[in-house]
Amino acid sequence: MRLRGFGGFATSALIAGAILWSFATTEVELSRLMSAGPRIADFLGRMFPPDPSVMAEIRKGSAETLRIAILGSLGAVILSVPLGILASETMVSPAVFRPIRTLLAFIRAIPLILVAMLMVGAVGLGPLPGIIAIAFHATGMLAKFYAEAIDGVSRAPIAALESAGAGPLVRLRHAIWPQMAPVVARDTIFRFELNLRESLILGIVGAGGIGFYIQTYVRSFQYDKAASVTIAVVVMVIAIEAINVALRRRFA
Amino acid sequence: MSTAARIDDLSFAHQGADLRALERVSLVIPTGENIALLGPSGAGKTTLLALLDGRLQGWRGRVSVLGAPLDPDHPPPRAIRPETGFVFQEFALVERSTVLRNVLNGRLGRMSPLRALLGSPTKHDLEIARTALADCGIADLADRRVDSLSGGQRQRVAIARCLAQEPRLILADEPVSNLDPTRAGEILSLLTGAARARGATALFSSHQPDLARRFAQRIIGIRGGRIVFDVPTSELSEDATAELYRDAEPMPGLGLRAVS
Repeated sequence: MRLRGFGGFATSALIAGAILWSFATTEVELSRLMSAGPRIADFLGRMFPPDPSVMAEIRKGSAETLRIAILGSLGAVILSVPLGILASETMVSPAVFRPIRTLLAFIRAIPLILVAMLMVGAVGLGPLPGIIAIAFHATGMLAKFYAEAIDGVSRAPIAALESAGAGPLVRLRHAIWPQMAPVVARDTIFRFELNLRESLILGIVGAGGIGFYIQTYVRSFQYDKAASVTIAVVVMVIAIEAINVALRRRFA
Repeated sequence: MSTAARIDDLSFAHQGADLRALERVSLVIPTGENIALLGPSGAGKTTLLALLDGRLQGWRGRVSVLGAPLDPDHPPPRAIRPETGFVFQEFALVERSTVLRNVLNGRLGRMSPLRALLGSPTKHDLEIARTALADCGIADLADRRVDSLSGGQRQRVAIARCLAQEPRLILADEPVSNLDPTRAGEILSLLTGAARARGATALFSSHQPDLARRFAQRIIGIRGGRIVFDVPTSELSEDATAELYRDAEPMPGLGLRAVS
C-alpha cells in the first residue's frame, strides 16, 4: 500500500527520526566498526578447529536440555488442558473465557528468558527453574491452541449427544475430543519443538542444559570448545525439525 | 388414546429476531402415529422439532413431551432426554469415529456417568447398538470410520444412533433432504418402520409432499410459524399443498404435480 499525503509524510519523518535517534544516542563508533572485520575473523579463527574433547559435556548438557524440554512440555500440557477448556467459547460462558484468554495473552507476552531468570532467582540454579519457566511460558500458547482446537470442531455432533442426554464432560470426551485429537497432537508436537529450541539457551541464565557450557567456555575464552558445543546445538535443532516434520505429516 | 406430545398456544422468537419463528401453535401428537411436518424453508419446522427435543429455551405457552411438561427456561433433566430421539438433517455424526462408536454415543444418556465418560458400554448397551445397526442394514459397516461413508449410509448410522437411545418419540429434521430420491424413500421407510416396530411415535419434517404422503398417516402444514392445516394424509388436498408453497422458493423434489 502506498502512503499518501500528510499521513505518508509524517510516517516517513517518524521512521527517519527513529533511525537518527538510534544512531545519535547509541555509541556506534565507526572506528570500531571498521576494525571489527579482522577481529571477527580472529575470533572465528580461535574457534577452529573445534575441540572434540568436550563430547562428554555435550552429551550431558544435551541430555539435560532434552529432559528440561520434555518435563517442561509435560507441565505445559497439564496446565493447558484445564486452561484450554476454560478459554474455549464452546465449553464455558464469556464471563469465564474472556478473563482466561486475557491471562494467557499476558503469559505469552513475558519472554521465556525473563521467566527463567526470575525462576533462577526464586528456586536457585539448575534444571528445575528451566522446567518451570518452559511450562509457564509454553502454556500461554498451548492453552490458546487447545481452546482454538475445541472451538474449531463441528457443533452438530455436540448437539446430538446433548439431545441423547450426555453431560458436558461426556460431550467433550465423545463429540469434541475425537474431532480435535489430531489438531492437539500437531500443536503439542509443534510446541515441544519450540520448547526444545528455546531451552537450548536457558543455561546462559543458569537454568540448566547445554547453554551453560556455551556460556562457560565463551567466558573463559575457550572458543574451540564453545564451537564444538555450538555445532552440537545446531545439529540438535536440525534433527528436531526433521523429526517434527515427519511427525506432523503423520497427523495431517 | 395416550399422547406423545401436547403443545398449547406456543410462541417463540429467536434471540434478536423481529419475527416470531412460531406463532400460537397448538398441537396434539397421539402415541404411535407417524406424522409429517410439511412446509417451505424457514416455516418453523426445525424450530418446532428442536423445541420438542428440549434444545430451545425462552418460549411461551405450554408444552409437554411424553407426559412431562417442558420448562420454558431450562433444558429437560438429562435422565429423560434419551426418551426423545433426534435425527439431524446434516447427520451430526462424529466423522473420525467408527460407526459402532457413533451408534454407542446414542447410549451415553442411558449409561452410568462413569461408564459414559470412559466410553465403556455394558453387554446390554452393545447388544442394543448391534440390533440398531442390523435394523438399519449397516451391521457390516460397524468398524468403518464415518468419514468413509456415503450420505445414505451416514443417515442410516444417525438413525441407528437414535434407535440405540430407545426413544419413545422420534423427531427427524429433514432427514432425507441431503439424499437422492431413491435413498430418501429407503431412509424414510426405515425410519417410520423402525418407529412402528418399537411402538414409538415419529414426527419428521420434509419439504417434499410426495414423501410425506407416502410415509405419514397425518400431515401438518406449517408456514410463517403458524399451522396452516393438520389433516389425515388421505384428506390432504393438492390445493392445500399448493397453497402452502405459494410464492415460496422452489425446492428440489417438491413435485410439480402439486403446483400444476
